[in-house]
Amino acid sequence: MFTRSRLIIVAVCLLALGAVLANAPLVSSQGLTITAAAIEGDLPIDAPDSALWQQATAVEVPMSAQMIARPIMPETNAKAITVRALHNNAEIAFLLEWQDATRNDTTLRVDDFRDSVAIQFPVGEGQPFYCMGQQGGDVNIWHWKADWQASLIAQQNLQTTYPNLAVDQYPFTEPAENIYLAAYADRNYLTAEAAGNYLALPTHGSPVEDLVAGGFGTLTTQPLAGQNVRGFGEWRDGVWRVIFSRELTSTEAEDVMLAPEKLYAVAFAAWDGANQERNGSKSTSQWVSFQLASAPGTGAAAPAGAAAQAPLTASVAATQPTGFNPLFWGFIALLILIPLGVGVVMLYFYLGNKA
Amino acid sequence: MPDVYNWHLGRTMTYPYPEAHPTKQFAAVFNINRCIGCQTCTGSCKATWTFSRGQEYMWWNNVETKPYGSYPQHWDVKVLQLLDEAHQAAGVQPQWDHSQASEQAPYGVYNGLTLTEASGPNEQVLGYLPAESEWRSPNFYEDTSTGYKGGAYGLSPDGASLPEHQAWFFYLMRICNHCTYPACLAACPRKAIYKREEDGIVLIDQERCRGYRKCVQACPYKKSMYRGTTQVSEKCVGCYPRVEGADPLSDGVPMETRCMAVCPGKIRLNGLVDVAEDGSWVENPKHPLYFLVRMEQIALPLYPQFGTEPNIYYIPPRWAPRPYLRQMFGPGVDHAIERYTAPSRELLAVLQLFRTTQKMIFRYEIEEGPLVREAEINGKPWQMYNDTVIGFDAKDREIVRLSVVEPLHERPMERLNSI
Ligand code: SF4
Ligand code: SF4
Ligand code: SF4
Repeated sequence: MFTRSRLIIVAVCLLALGAVLANAPLVSSQGLTITAAAIEGDLPIDAPDSALWQQATAVEVPMSAQMIARPIMPETNAKAITVRALHNNAEIAFLLEWQDATRNDTTLRVDDFRDSVAIQFPVGEGQPFYCMGQQGGDVNIWHWKADWQASLIAQQNLQTTYPNLAVDQYPFTEPAENIYLAAYADRNYLTAEAAGNYLALPTHGSPVEDLVAGGFGTLTTQPLAGQNVRGFGEWRDGVWRVIFSRELTSTEAEDVMLAPEKLYAVAFAAWDGANQERNGSKSTSQWVSFQLASAPGTGAAAPAGAAAQAPLTASVAATQPTGFNPLFWGFIALLILIPLGVGVVMLYFYLGNKA
Repeated sequence: MPDVYNWHLGRTMTYPYPEAHPTKQFAAVFNINRCIGCQTCTGSCKATWTFSRGQEYMWWNNVETKPYGSYPQHWDVKVLQLLDEAHQAAGVQPQWDHSQASEQAPYGVYNGLTLTEASGPNEQVLGYLPAESEWRSPNFYEDTSTGYKGGAYGLSPDGASLPEHQAWFFYLMRICNHCTYPACLAACPRKAIYKREEDGIVLIDQERCRGYRKCVQACPYKKSMYRGTTQVSEKCVGCYPRVEGADPLSDGVPMETRCMAVCPGKIRLNGLVDVAEDGSWVENPKHPLYFLVRMEQIALPLYPQFGTEPNIYYIPPRWAPRPYLRQMFGPGVDHAIERYTAPSRELLAVLQLFRTTQKMIFRYEIEEGPLVREAEINGKPWQMYNDTVIGFDAKDREIVRLSVVEPLHERPMERLNSI
């Protein structure tokens, strides 16, 4: 026989179950820690196949589509990035590997989009919003681009893209044997370049763009002199292997500063050009803990003890695990809990009346 | 999303940004009836703005032969189809209620979805990114008419007559519409696109743009274009240095753009209209654009249902099928064609102003002249007067003076063959 007290126990259990269900995907990238193994000597900054990478523990970081700011592409292609990191007390290098069936390394044609990958660090203390940071919580972003990489290997130009191209002249260029490669005498005709847009430079010294952001739409290229992140990327058999490297310290306020035995946060994003992924249409990770091992050869840091620093804000979305859409699950939880609550209350009074 | 008032649609619509308007708006009237398809406009823009590396495929001004021609290919059909699918999904039958026409809603009220309203949860604007191949062959289907159905060999024994030709085509000359509610601007996640306060010209900040091409995807008219050599997008700049009066020839007053000023068909009239705080055009009956668009209502926006409130207005061609024209220019088509076919005394004079001076005309005056012709048009009597129309620039100086009847000069015998 149901009694009121028994019913209360059942109801409490059901509610607890509902609460657990609503919070179900507790496995999050926040539980992960990437540790940069300390080695001696030069880092393998352009050698993804180097044996040195074996000294670093590989961490698979789950990725999911950015679902917060429009434009949203619910189906992005990168589902995980495998990350390794090495440092030699002066420099740090990350090796990122992820699956991508096609190599998209040109942006010359109007419907060409590049494959690319990015690492993001909070500039200051604490964790700002994991997607592009937030006002007062800047993030330093290193963005590697497949087309910039390809151009470093062999300059891409209109002629390589359109072998049958025929143009009589390009006014305001220097006399040259090949007009498709002729330098511009007047930069104003390369409008974006003349306006100081770093993207528009005909060549880039590194395939990595060093940026700073403080919220959606605020992404800003660091000044030319501050472009201090190097990179190397290679696509083979459906996998991109991309290395980022930089000195641990930097004199710039917009750069992350790295030192051993401190716990940092790091996040990743990847874009598949074949799927026309660009800007907010991307796969992202949550913040992942990151630290530098202290002594060469150990490959692991002293136990970090505390978890990564507390988030800057109590933003719900910012602290949710990967693939967890708070709106969706909140809605589902409400769908379960409200009828359940109503039912329990009704039953309570029903039984109360009977008794 | 905020609501903004779109007077083309006669209602408020959703747009990502709250309503804010420039003090003046760049606008133009294009008379489709007079275009000869010479592409001088197209070439002038290319020779001024897009002759550099990476811009080869760009035609900020283009002239396409309707109904088949389009640059990029099938842009209009594709956008109409997207909108149609959105309407079907939403169970909406888009319609114009012309009976609700008023001062604030000259074409009545449109109850369908606009591109910002039909975009769904993931995008700001409903659109598509044209494939690279679609930007090629910009004048494909040039001069291709619809087929004549009936006579042998596709020939009509009686020729063609108004109001509707069976075999027809017309030229559609297009530039960026410097829209009041630009779809390109709405879609840019970087806020790299802006509408200028002083003239409403819509520009892409070449420093902020990161080449995401959301504007290319969103602009229904496909007038935002990506430049691979600089990795950012570019678009028609409304020849803003000329509009600012910065051209040495202009004497410090606003000048018509390159594509407008070169037109041998004299089909274009470009100017700046005063805009009130609520976005309406400040009443100014002696401004030629105000007169043509708001008073005579013979010039109409292109695809107003897209919801961007475009600022290039077209005098529709008299001979094309009306349903096609209504789809393209909205419900004002019949009225516009009727007015244009039998122009009022004032309209006939104002129509003379097209492409007669490089400077923008801000005001006109008419000096009345004698009756020169009487005729019957569509069963109604019609008179033609040889009035003189005088145009004034931004500083209210006379810049052009024309009579309705073109002056005739007879060459003397001894110079008969000289040129
Ligand atoms: S026509 Fe297209 S590019 Fe021009 S303002 Fe309108 S939406 Fe933007
Ligand atoms: S207004 Fe100027 S920039 Fe725009 S299409 Fe015409 S000539 Fe080109
Ligand atoms: S220049 Fe004038 S007449 Fe020639 S195609 Fe352009 S709009 Fe038509």
